[in-house]
Amino acid sequence: MKDISNLIIIKKKIIVPLLFTIIFSYFLFIIFIAYFPGLLGQQFFNYSISYGIVFGFLLILIIFIVTLVYVFLSNKYLEPEIKKITS
Amino acid sequence: MNITAVSLFLLFVFVTLYITYWAAKQISNRDSFYTAGGNISGFQNGLAISGDFMSAASFLGISGLVFATGFDGLIYSIGFLVGWPIVLLLIAEPLRNLGKYTFADVASYRLQQRPIRTLSALGSLATVSLYLIAQMVGAGKLVQILFGLPYDLAVYIVGGLMILYVTFGGMIATTWVQIIKAVLLLFGATLISILVLYQFNFNLNQFFSTAVNNHELGSKILNPGGLIKDPISAISLGLALMFGTAGLPHILMRFFTVKDSIQARKSVVYATGFIGYFYILTFIIGFGAIILVGSNSDYLNPEGGLIGNNNMAAIHLAHAVGGDVLLGFISAVAFATILAVVSGLTLAGASAISHDIYANVINSSNKNEKKELFVSRLATIFLGILAIFLGIIFEKQNIAFMVGLAFAIAASTNFPIIFLSMFWRNLTTRGAFFGGLIGLLVTITLVILSPVVWVDVFNFSEAIFPYKYPALFSMTTTFFFVIFISLSDRSKQAIKDKKGFQEQFYRSITGIGIEEGKKH
Repeated sequence: MKDISNLIIIKKKIIVPLLFTIIFSYFLFIIFIAYFPGLLGQQFFNYSISYGIVFGFLLILIIFIVTLVYVFLSNKYLEPEIKKITS
Repeated sequence: MNITAVSLFLLFVFVTLYITYWAAKQISNRDSFYTAGGNISGFQNGLAISGDFMSAASFLGISGLVFATGFDGLIYSIGFLVGWPIVLLLIAEPLRNLGKYTFADVASYRLQQRPIRTLSALGSLATVSLYLIAQMVGAGKLVQILFGLPYDLAVYIVGGLMILYVTFGGMIATTWVQIIKAVLLLFGATLISILVLYQFNFNLNQFFSTAVNNHELGSKILNPGGLIKDPISAISLGLALMFGTAGLPHILMRFFTVKDSIQARKSVVYATGFIGYFYILTFIIGFGAIILVGSNSDYLNPEGGLIGNNNMAAIHLAHAVGGDVLLGFISAVAFATILAVVSGLTLAGASAISHDIYANVINSSNKNEKKELFVSRLATIFLGILAIFLGIIFEKQNIAFMVGLAFAIAASTNFPIIFLSMFWRNLTTRGAFFGGLIGLLVTITLVILSPVVWVDVFNFSEAIFPYKYPALFSMTTTFFFVIFISLSDRSKQAIKDKKGFQEQFYRSITGIGIEEGKKH
């Protein structure tokens, strides 16, 4: 077995912030719903939607962006390292 | 009966049976039956995964929830979506690198085969059966309304076709049925949404304000409503949805159909994109139904409720914007959706029986690939008949809790075992087995004692366990016992279990050893 400590460091550097982003933003959403439903219900500026809906759609976007960023970073930084080890 | 619906559905059946025939010719061994030979591309798998996930229940159920409560529907869809980045970041790649056919391959990689495979198969079968019952009952009722067929007949048709697809076509047919269905469903939902928004010249502001004016709750439909009342339930539901997806056997199985971890990664990104897009559409469809269905007496019963029930919101809306043709198309797609989802579930259940229980627990000394393939086909037929039988006996029962329970078990038993086996060096066979078993029993017990079963099914006046969602308690119980028992395990096996971690972790990251497959 070759030394993969460098690989593990890169992997952690990619995964941990993204995981934190997802867990933090989702639980923020959930906790807002549980504790401050009124706040989420407020009208979003002059539009006929609420802050809650904006937050919700933003969350869908964040979820998708996180997956994209992960693939981008993995292909750029992780795959070359893996190739070094497997070849 | 709607001619378009029936002819389009027959066309779907004809095409999918032809695919099954074509697939059957290619199935020669376990690889092709369980994983389509690993030849599915990341894009195709992404579509198939989203096909697995976008069930009729989520299409009709979530749009119906949006129709009835507005914002609360969005809470559900986001919950179902947020599991995907978790699957991607933590599970997909190591799973692909370590496993071959089932997630038990991964869980038992360095642990003792028999106990861990038995436990994993138990977790898989529990999740799959609960899901299957919910799908079959939903199918029967839906087809009854859409096609005017008797409930029992609808259940027989769904069960019968599913048995044909999976028994003969295995994963190849199942994957293509999923892909076709996913494309049809995405197309249908897009079409409805465009037709709805077209009526408002794509002015979203006007669209939402009209909906608010049309709904009896008024601007409350933009607020969180009664779905989540207290913080404990909120966090508990959040945990179940977030980590449940990463423990669903039919979803996990899909990662073995691609070539390597790069394709596995790609599959999740495509799947997340499709599913996220789909949930945005269900939101538009729900609001569209508020405007175009909720105030149109053609779609209401004398009491002022929706004909059928709230789950028919999307179907009525299809009729409102596209007449009989679109109604027929969406009905056929809904039927196709059920067929595809039950096929994926059955295949996952059958592989747990044949690959885990039969080949590695009962008959582990005498390996015979042909026999295992035969057993998996037998298991498919058995599960299909069981699903039909359960679908019929549960017709008049309250099954609303079943998908929730499936997710709770997935999050509280399957996920902790998979996660710890991949990432925690000190996990031992004893810890995983007993911890997982305790977790499974605690989950089931808490759900039975909770309001969704104790009050809604058994009609007691007050629940013993006050929360609707057990995951916060059951997940922590499993993690606690697995870790505690593992740490206190001083057996010889424990030393072996820990020793195997190094090699397993190395392979899970680099993928070295993946081509030749793991020899048990």
